[in-house]
Amino acid sequence: MLQYIVRRLLIAIPMLLGAMSIVFFAMRILPGDPCLAMMGDEATRAALQDCIRQLGLDRPLLVQYLDYLWKSLQLDFGRSLLFNYTVSSYILRMFPHTLLLVIASTIIALCIGLPTGIISALNRRNPLIDYTSRIVALIGLSMPVFWFGILLLIAFSLYWDLFPLIGGGDLSTVLEMLGNGEVFEYPEDFFAAVLDVLHHLVLPAFALGITLAATVSRLSRSAMLEVISQDYIRTARSKGLPERVVIYKHALRNMMIPLLTIIGLFVAIALTGTVLTETVFSRPGLGKMLVDAIGARDYPLAQGAITVFTMTIIVVNLIVDVLYAVFDPRITYR
Amino acid sequence: MALTEKKAVQGFPAVGIAQLEERWRRSLRGRNRRKYIPIAIGMLMVLTMVVVALLAPYIAPFSPSAQYADYVLKAPGAGGKHLLGTDEYGRDLLSRIIWGTRVSLQVGLASVCVGFVLGVPLGIMAGFLRGSTEAMIMRFTDMMLAFPTLLLALIIVTALGGSLINEILAIGVALMPNFIRLARSLALTIRENDYIMAARAIGGSHLRIMLRHVFPNAVSTLVVIATLYIATAIRTEAGLSFLGLGVPPPTPSWGNILSEGRQYIKCCPWLTTFSGFAIMLAVLAFNLMGDALRDLLDPRLRGE
Repeated sequence: MLQYIVRRLLIAIPMLLGAMSIVFFAMRILPGDPCLAMMGDEATRAALQDCIRQLGLDRPLLVQYLDYLWKSLQLDFGRSLLFNYTVSSYILRMFPHTLLLVIASTIIALCIGLPTGIISALNRRNPLIDYTSRIVALIGLSMPVFWFGILLLIAFSLYWDLFPLIGGGDLSTVLEMLGNGEVFEYPEDFFAAVLDVLHHLVLPAFALGITLAATVSRLSRSAMLEVISQDYIRTARSKGLPERVVIYKHALRNMMIPLLTIIGLFVAIALTGTVLTETVFSRPGLGKMLVDAIGARDYPLAQGAITVFTMTIIVVNLIVDVLYAVFDPRITYR
Repeated sequence: MALTEKKAVQGFPAVGIAQLEERWRRSLRGRNRRKYIPIAIGMLMVLTMVVVALLAPYIAPFSPSAQYADYVLKAPGAGGKHLLGTDEYGRDLLSRIIWGTRVSLQVGLASVCVGFVLGVPLGIMAGFLRGSTEAMIMRFTDMMLAFPTLLLALIIVTALGGSLINEILAIGVALMPNFIRLARSLALTIRENDYIMAARAIGGSHLRIMLRHVFPNAVSTLVVIATLYIATAIRTEAGLSFLGLGVPPPTPSWGNILSEGRQYIKCCPWLTTFSGFAIMLAVLAFNLMGDALRDLLDPRLRGE
């Protein structure tokens, strides 16, 4: 197993480098240079020169590329062009928001998607259940998350006024209080802050979670169908085990292995979903930061955000593959 | 003794072989018919979309860019002629959505074609030639797959700038790795067939075998799966337009109608509701058709 994990780690390194190269060169294909795009046509020659020097665009491309790779690996993405702070400090501030949204929506997606997918597969001879859940899943899959988010906003924020329209709550206060131990001194303030964060989280998490649930439902349905047609399930049934035991002990456990690999893919989908979800709900986070940076042509910020996105996806896939080896002992013998 | 005369053996109902066959055939037909329902519904929806897009100038009650000062932000049914209401410039929403069908269909079809044309040759080469060619192509594909479709399209559109052509290119390139993977896995199975060996034996070159034997045998599956990617492409296009990176504004696209309407959700929710509904219907149509076609063709492809 150790050999497998080491080999998997070694594969991840060129993948990471390659993906980062794509980011770097995509940002450089840009017709016209970022400085001109940012400052407009009225910029003086001196100001342009200054900007180019500041970004290091006057150096040879290869030097810029190696510099970008080396600094990115140290999580140093330079300074934002528009605001006077480092990109990494901004990313660090935004990351918890996105992480919270991804976790919350994943939980919702699993809670809704897994049972419906499994029930749909087990009742595949009952068209009323199977067809209904499949059609609902297909509709969920076809629904753009930004539209569903707006519908939720119209209903629950504007019409019933139950949830806030914009923002992400005061997450930094919560983290700060957790960090410096003020939790124990002012527990009431802390809980108020937590409640505020959760209050802001409900709608975005449901918008993203429900659209993701459709994917989970379809994947778990086909995973369950695959497992249920295996020989060991027939053996379990033929030796007279009650259906409940067959499903819970034999089918469900074996279904988890194919599902696990899907989670890697799933995190990628969820992260993309955050770009749209955060924009709809005007919620701080990496995705919104990326969109704003692109809109404002703040290249270091956009490049940093994309690099962090890519790194996260590759690392999550790596973790999933390693977990796969842990859960499925057959991997060891390969 | 004829088989049909065997009656009620061991408690089985007395049915003749002919009757059994008939029943079997009927149940088969019934099952197949049920399979065709989603395809029919999906195709009907797609066909409607195509007709609406082609006949947009004749169907749309108003010009999509005509502004009516008296009808700014009016609710659906305003003045008895604006069926879905009007936007902040007094433009008719229904007409804009009808014209927006063109953008969505164009981007959906064209970008899948781009992805197909770029990805399939690479995938067939990887699966058929194997060896270092395969290793190189697949490493490259893995790298691209590290980016989700929308993110990759986002990067490319940012680099190129937002326009119809750039959007098509961006989404096409973003879909390419999916086509490479699919074509490779198809080529891997096809190359093991006897007719490939026969083609080799009579001296067919690699290129000829790939063009004349591998590709034609893979194309039906590829086209069916491509239908599903049209749905992905339309959704990605809407997402890009929503983020302000798609077709630039005066041209109506469902994504930018929705994005512009977002400022007015307090007073005028119809702007976002109807444009989003159009996106959902379009994506649903291609998903429905592609899903059912794929199941009919080969249920084992479900993971693709």
